[in-house]
Amino acid sequence: MTRILLRNKLDDCIAAWQKAGFSVFAPVRQHEMSSFGEVQKASDMAFDLVLPERTIKDHFFPQTEPLIKYKIGKQQIDSETMTPPDRKRVFFGVRPCDASGLAIDDPLFGWDYKDDYWFRRRDNSVIVTIVCTEADDFCMCTSVKLSPESDKGADVMLRPLANGAGWQVEAVSERGTALLETIPSLLQENSEPTAPVPQVAEKFDLEKVMEWLASKENFESQFWKDISLRCVGCGSCTFLCPTCHCFDIQDEGDTYAGIRRKNWDSCSFSLFTMHTSGHNPRNTQSTRWRQRIMHKFNYYRGKFGVNSCSGCGRCTRQCPVDMGITETLQAISNLPR
Amino acid sequence: MGIQEQYRSEAAALLSSGEVKLVIGFGEGSTADRRRPLFARTPEEAQKFVLDAACIANLSTYLVTEGLLSDGKKVAVFLKPDGIRSVNILISEAQLKPDQVVILGYAIDKAEITALEGRNISDFSLGEEIRSHTPPPHILQEAERIEEMNPAERFEFWKAHFSKCIKCYACRQVCPMCYCRRCIVDVNQPQWVSTSSHTLGNFEWNIVRAFHLAGRCAACGACDRACPVNIPLRLVNYRMGKEVIDAFDYCAGENSSQKPVLASFKQDDPETFIL
Ligand code: SF4
Ligand code: SF4
Ligand code: SF4
Ligand code: SF4
Repeated sequence: MTRILLRNKLDDCIAAWQKAGFSVFAPVRQHEMSSFGEVQKASDMAFDLVLPERTIKDHFFPQTEPLIKYKIGKQQIDSETMTPPDRKRVFFGVRPCDASGLAIDDPLFGWDYKDDYWFRRRDNSVIVTIVCTEADDFCMCTSVKLSPESDKGADVMLRPLANGAGWQVEAVSERGTALLETIPSLLQENSEPTAPVPQVAEKFDLEKVMEWLASKENFESQFWKDISLRCVGCGSCTFLCPTCHCFDIQDEGDTYAGIRRKNWDSCSFSLFTMHTSGHNPRNTQSTRWRQRIMHKFNYYRGKFGVNSCSGCGRCTRQCPVDMGITETLQAISNLPR
Repeated sequence: MGIQEQYRSEAAALLSSGEVKLVIGFGEGSTADRRRPLFARTPEEAQKFVLDAACIANLSTYLVTEGLLSDGKKVAVFLKPDGIRSVNILISEAQLKPDQVVILGYAIDKAEITALEGRNISDFSLGEEIRSHTPPPHILQEAERIEEMNPAERFEFWKAHFSKCIKCYACRQVCPMCYCRRCIVDVNQPQWVSTSSHTLGNFEWNIVRAFHLAGRCAACGACDRACPVNIPLRLVNYRMGKEVIDAFDYCAGENSSQKPVLASFKQDDPETFIL
């Protein structure tokens, strides 16, 4: 026997969480785009998406975020830290790859300096994932050793019932257990079978890829130039990636007063590495594309012991010229050894 | 022989004779319905070209890649009329030399694809076709719906869309007319335009781009298709294009000897807005 949550109890569930002080977020469709947004009732949620176009990252590391307000006077400088509100949030219906993305980024934001802007939100959020029942051509979680039923980054994991009436519910962290304690009467014992998990074929041999990337002589390989010829150097693949985390600090205002902000930045842009002198150590798209791959499957692993990719496939799904990391890693995996 | 085979062998011949150093066309994509840009430098690579009704991207954007044509050599490229129109605009803006580009032209009408006659830009006369071309009905309907809104409603419409923008600059990067080596939003000594992607910053960016494309857009739709958050950029382009036709009787890309409308003047230009 396991516990289940019926779909027709979802409105009550949202109300119970709101009563317990949580704001509830879920995949929504708004203005021709799918993303995570705040919901008031079950019918606000978009359940039919394989994956929303935007990632859950937006709600932990927003595209632009005020850090401090400053005012420079004749005698003194006043500043005020603008920490994000620590409101409690439930994220409902997160896909396992997006939840993994958060877990992958945790060590980065907490490494030499604990990023309050990230962790305040992390500590106050409960992640409720739904195991996938559908995958599209771009999904590649299994290729990076995750799966459509991975519980990485999840607090509560839901498995859709085969009859579509609801989900089997399982707490996978203390935070998850605590969340379920707010809705005891809405859960019921049941032994309905769950829907099958889709088979997502592995698209490349990750070990082979990592080995090739680790070999210094491949850094200057012609491979990088050939594979990245058509990349137009936009920020689409990085900004839609649940694990890409680069940012730039900008002061917005004038000499005397303003706001210091943390804005998304992308290694795909030539400006990303441009020195004040005008010299650019990554002055071609191929060196920038190489950086993106190396960072994800070599440097990040070296520092934090995990690859910086959860296999969501968005970088390929959304690339205007049909690039994305899958093709590159497949090509590396198939190189003659 | 179908158009695909015809252009494969023509591309191979151009490469083996040394007439061009590179052919830019399409290859298979990551799924059955996708096509991706393919660059062929050898006759063998040219055999991988695919050309069918799914080849809708405007490849002319690669012609302005930094350094590509600086050696004076020629490049061949697969283009449909909006790509040819783009080449006209680029030549009129002195960004391309007409004789460096060999055009392998094609047109798609419903699912039918046909080869276009001519290889040099001067072989194509688009003038009438562009002028009389009406955008697809769905764009016209959307545009009409917006025209009918009052200013407050219209502002809300664009606010909802622009607040989604993430400043990924995919619209700019795929656009053949966005060839500036350093876009104004990337000029950072000082930072003229804020990099922040909040609603105000997104308005700034999208308005800057709309103005910079006024009278220069080839209506290829590349930016609209590239936008990962589905902002209807087609409507901005359509309206700006219409504005320029109405105000100056000018339609960008009709031929390559046009004078760019906002970079030239006539003695008898109306000066209604100057006091
Ligand atoms: S791979 Fe695609 S999405 Fe990424 S920078 Fe290049 S063109 Fe843009
Ligand atoms: S690199 Fe691509 S597949 Fe991996 S997490 Fe980022 S967007 Fe998803
Ligand atoms: S603005 Fe958009 S539609 Fe116009 S030429 Fe550029 S990419 Fe094409
Ligand atoms: S492609 Fe879309 S999201 Fe990206 S900068 Fe342009 S308008 Fe903004």
